[in-house]
Amino acid sequence: MPPQRTPLKMALTRRDLQTGRVIVQFSFRKGLVLDMGAAPKGDLIAPLSVGTVGFLGQDYPGVTFDLRVAEGDLVRMGQTLCVDRHRPDIRFVAPATGRISRITLGARRRLEALEIAVEGDAEHHLDPAHAQGDDAGLRQLLLESGAWAGFRTRPFGHVPDPGHRPASIFVTATDTNPLAADPVAVLAPQMALFQRGAEALLRLTDGPVFICQQPGPPLAEAQGRLRLAHFAGPHPSGQAGSHIHRLMPVSRQRSVWQIGYQEVVAIGHLLETGRIMGTRVLSLAGSGLIGPALVKAPLGACLADLVKNQTQDPAPVLLSGPILSGHATAYLRRHDLQVTAVASTARSYPARPFWHRLMDVLPAAPIGATLPLEAFERAFPFDLLPAPLMRALAVGDVETAERLGCLELLEEDLAPLSWLCPSGSDYGALLRRALNRLAEERVE
Amino acid sequence: MTRQNEYLPALWDAHRVTATTCAALLAPLALAIHERGAGIMAPLVLALGLAVFWPLVFARMRGRAMGWDSIVTALVFVLLLPGPVALWQQGLALSFGLVLGGLIFGGHGRGFLNPAVAGLAFLLFSFPGAAIEVPGPSVAIAAGVGGALLLGLGLLSWRVVLGFGIAIAGLMAVFPASEGWVALQSASLVLGLVFLIGDPVAAACTNVGRWLYGGLAGTLVVMLGHAGDGVGALTTVVFAAFLASIFAPLIDQLVITLNVQRRARRQRNG
Repeated sequence: MPPQRTPLKMALTRRDLQTGRVIVQFSFRKGLVLDMGAAPKGDLIAPLSVGTVGFLGQDYPGVTFDLRVAEGDLVRMGQTLCVDRHRPDIRFVAPATGRISRITLGARRRLEALEIAVEGDAEHHLDPAHAQGDDAGLRQLLLESGAWAGFRTRPFGHVPDPGHRPASIFVTATDTNPLAADPVAVLAPQMALFQRGAEALLRLTDGPVFICQQPGPPLAEAQGRLRLAHFAGPHPSGQAGSHIHRLMPVSRQRSVWQIGYQEVVAIGHLLETGRIMGTRVLSLAGSGLIGPALVKAPLGACLADLVKNQTQDPAPVLLSGPILSGHATAYLRRHDLQVTAVASTARSYPARPFWHRLMDVLPAAPIGATLPLEAFERAFPFDLLPAPLMRALAVGDVETAERLGCLELLEEDLAPLSWLCPSGSDYGALLRRALNRLAEERVE
Repeated sequence: MTRQNEYLPALWDAHRVTATTCAALLAPLALAIHERGAGIMAPLVLALGLAVFWPLVFARMRGRAMGWDSIVTALVFVLLLPGPVALWQQGLALSFGLVLGGLIFGGHGRGFLNPAVAGLAFLLFSFPGAAIEVPGPSVAIAAGVGGALLLGLGLLSWRVVLGFGIAIAGLMAVFPASEGWVALQSASLVLGLVFLIGDPVAAACTNVGRWLYGGLAGTLVVMLGHAGDGVGALTTVVFAAFLASIFAPLIDQLVITLNVQRRARRQRNG
């Protein structure tokens, strides 16, 4: 393995005092600081029970689902709900035990949502024994348990192919989204499982596995291909997009995977016990709540059930995910670790300067053209040119967008730009369209 | 494609940009009215009328919502109007600017010229010899205050302004100023920099490009000012803005090419 090259001057390396290993450090100046109020700190609320959980088709772009259950069926946690039609090894499993209460199909009979009314606590057990030494066995276990769907590829943001070996795997163990939970606090009681999961990732790739975290005590023990990288600075210094862009920029030729820190804990837990970890630690926060809270809740939890006891607002807007890139869905999305509740009365959230609040009296403008402002560059810590890229995406010029580096990005990376741009376009959605077209071309 | 998160009030939209730019124009406009008195009222009313008429026509034709950004164009056009010009000439020039400088491309942000620049260039080309009446220094100061507001809110790029300043200062040091340069410190120059050259639509849209674009505009101002000794600050600024905005997409392409090459090199080495 050649020595790690630091792609930009911003990268500093230093030796960890205890282990003597080199840690790559990045400090971003560019980014966005949003004033949103308090993020949750302190104690975890004991596991929160919800009435329903949901499985959302939109969480897995590029997948055509083949259902393996029907409405009214009883399912156990970990039981296969559906598989990818073109790659049937990839399974999507029930996040909780209960009865399938509703299956919603959208255009062209695509699966939109599958809802489970939670009842009982039966579990689907798996045998992790054959995954311990055998790499194929590990892949098999991850696929069977549904943990595979926790990975996302770059480029495209797809669930990876079962046989694919990525150039690298990035574990995102930092979160700079406004109101997000602190990964260090969440990981503290589960360090052993996290280490175990991270080591298992090494068996899926021939390249390095990067643990990306804020500067501070190491979250995992670096060894061999398992490396630590420190990222400091304003949002989005805690998002995988900026990490991958710095450490291993992707292209049509090179593909990497990204995975969230709690998914890694879940993999460690699966290998340790053979049981699926169906819950995640979530941050509940926002102006629509009495106060921020850290809760443990099932994957796909119903958002309204989650905030039931936390709000006095009759109808808060509930977002799965952070304020900038979140979606107003009924259920928690697969890769989100926070719920943002916006008060129904909120006019200025996140807090904006006086002049912008003053202009709230103006009517909303229709969608317009991209107006290139310097603020785009200030909020975008990528070595990409935001305004030309936004223009290319807005007019649907996929070739130019690819040339300008859109393959390195996913929806959430463009969320700050959508917020800043006067055009009112959703560049994340436009990027998804462009990525879908590029992915189709690749297949043909 | 519309925003998915409509609950999140966007920081800017087209109306907000127009309103803010109009606010920045208020002080210079008030002073100009104060200085020129009733003489400016007829052009102002005509310009505002055209700024509503043409967008409305295009909005009807295309079945789209109407934009209000032409108001800014009209105000800048009236502020920079060179003294006594017949009303029909003003109307023709502004219509040319609004339609061919912006609306035929699809409106604000889709063209590459500032419509006021197109209109003023048309006026100066087609009806030369109009006695140039330069707004006073108080208008220049007011325009500077408006520019500071736009800089502070990020609607005017400080890179363009600084690049422009550096180019002018550098060239003035090399070629010492002649008599005609007094005109350059006029309101036309400040107004032109803030509202014509600094228009984000006409300027380059990359950070490196903004430096180059500002520098180019400054260089052009000095060169045109020297070459046409006595043509006046307005002509100099308008044609400098015109030429610079024609070159802005080229500058951006250069920056894009360098960026693409640099990233390709990183891909190979990384």
